[in-house]
Amino acid sequence: MKGLFGSPRRVAAIARNTFIEAGRNRAFIGLGIAAIGLVASSMAVSGLAIADQMARVLVDFGLFAISLLEVVIAVTMGVILVFKEIDRKTFYVVLTKPIRRSEVLAGKFFGLAAILAIALVLMAAAWVGSLLLRDVPLRHDMVQALVLTWMQALLITSVALFFSSFASPVLSGVFTLGVYLAGTSIYVLEDLLAGRKGMLATNEAARAVAKAAVVGLPDLSVFNLGKELILGIPIGWDYVAAAGAYCAGWIVLFWALAALIFERRDFA
Amino acid sequence: MDDVIAVEGLRKVFRTPFRRRRVEAVKGVTFQVRRGEIFGFLGPNGAGKTTTLKMLVGLIRPTSGRARVLGGDPGTLEVMARVGFLPEQPYFYDYLTPGELLDVFGQVFGLPRALRRQRIDSLLDLVGLGDAKGRVLRKFSKGMLQRVGIAQALLNDPELVLLDEPMSGLDPVGRKEIIDLMARLKDQGKTVFFSSHILADIERLCDRVVILHKGEVKHAGTLKELLTQGERKEILVAGELPDGLSGRPGLLATDRVGPGVTRLAVESAAADAMLRALLDARLEVLQVADRGITLEELFVKTAGSGPVGAREVAG
Ligand SMILES: Nc1ncnc2c1ncn2[C@@H]1O[C@H](COP(=O)(O)OP(=O)(O)O)[C@@H](O)[C@H]1O
Ligand SMILES: [Mg+2]
Repeated sequence: MKGLFGSPRRVAAIARNTFIEAGRNRAFIGLGIAAIGLVASSMAVSGLAIADQMARVLVDFGLFAISLLEVVIAVTMGVILVFKEIDRKTFYVVLTKPIRRSEVLAGKFFGLAAILAIALVLMAAAWVGSLLLRDVPLRHDMVQALVLTWMQALLITSVALFFSSFASPVLSGVFTLGVYLAGTSIYVLEDLLAGRKGMLATNEAARAVAKAAVVGLPDLSVFNLGKELILGIPIGWDYVAAAGAYCAGWIVLFWALAALIFERRDFA
Repeated sequence: MDDVIAVEGLRKVFRTPFRRRRVEAVKGVTFQVRRGEIFGFLGPNGAGKTTTLKMLVGLIRPTSGRARVLGGDPGTLEVMARVGFLPEQPYFYDYLTPGELLDVFGQVFGLPRALRRQRIDSLLDLVGLGDAKGRVLRKFSKGMLQRVGIAQALLNDPELVLLDEPMSGLDPVGRKEIIDLMARLKDQGKTVFFSSHILADIERLCDRVVILHKGEVKHAGTLKELLTQGERKEILVAGELPDGLSGRPGLLATDRVGPGVTRLAVESAAADAMLRALLDARLEVLQVADRGITLEELFVKTAGSGPVGAREVAG
């Protein structure tokens, strides 16, 4: 089993460098500032809402904005960082070092995970700040909801890295967003499959496709618990842990597939 | 068996995915590089040098044939730990300083921190970037990037150094420095394998060379072997060569080298007859000298005598 996931030292070297790259990139920093600004300004929307619904809007909309922006950051960085290495040929000097290509991918992933964590903390600070300003009571479930949001972004990062291991950046971005949208609405399919009416109950072919989608795509509703937060349903750390295991399983799968493709790829 | 590199029937066919075009960049190349030598991998642009080098470091897979590097498969961890590679026109993470870049690679190599620091400092001094240590690579010129590339190729104190066009992007002084550096690496017992389409200054450097053209090995051997084949004499005469003599057998080339001086290149075997004919024609012979073929001439001859080949050599 030793070395199944590669050498931690080499992965860490790439992760650290990925983190520095984002930290020194003006476009990424701009994206981060825009994200925080968006979360803060989304709170202004609540000013238009009716007083008793204000808390709901603040909590729900704020969390949704954070989750969406984390995904946007995950997709853009996941796609751009790999493309840049290939396009500028910086990979030539990296991949010819004693390092596995799977380790380079893992390093990129962990570097991005750290960046997403920092972006999350900053956006969450803007969110919590605006909640406090409006006297909305804080609950510790919010921390759990935020952690789940981060997990979703990590999963999307691994999807983006997977697609960038063989597709062009534009296609990778489109595919990754496709997985995000489909994964977000998978529970709808599950409901339809469980029902006795409609096309999915009667048409065998449609049923097979829907089933394949349910099995072959991550169910992202696992990570989006805004409703529970509003309704006051506790989330609990055991749920977070289970979601984490689900998330890790998908990440390892996408990483392994990406590594398989990446190992075989020519860097001509 | 002390072959540091053994290449046998190596081929690479590139397929462009949408246009149905096939490019056979390397067409069954065979050669060996011995431990401790400086091996020149020469040929005009497009000969297939970079493609071959990329197969030797595992960046691309051969279509067929075999390459062994340091006794192992190209690109594996065990092999790459002992190899240094400079890509053609290298480019690096441009948001880092050269010190930071080398530190990342040093971590990948697993060098302890103290050793990293010491080696990075001495390497940057070695390639003449001691003063640019703190500057971001984005602001580096092509020649400076080339020097960073050499430094990163030596970071792991490799047994074998593979350099793709190490002299390109450098001025004559820089080229001289690289040549001296390669000679020093050889003195340290390392094997140096480098590609080049520029021949200036390298004649005395290489122990052996391969001349590649259109994906095929055209010449292989020591420079001495290559350059003494087709030995010739050079004759300088005053005045112009009469028409009657310009078509003589064994006359390889004529050109004007100064006011009223013509230079003839003549096959050695035909030199006596040619001299007699010149004297009979009452021409004043200024000088007769032995001359081997130059690498440059061999190169042009290999690349085809047309102006395209000549231009590639010059470029
Ligand atoms: N990725 C690629 N796809 C298609 N053709 C390529 C590719 N890389 C190189 N070639 C072609 O292969 C030939 C050899 O190229 P190269 O190995 O770069 O030569 P050299 O390094 O000697 O200049 C050229 O004709 C070049 O156009
Ligand atoms: Mg080349």
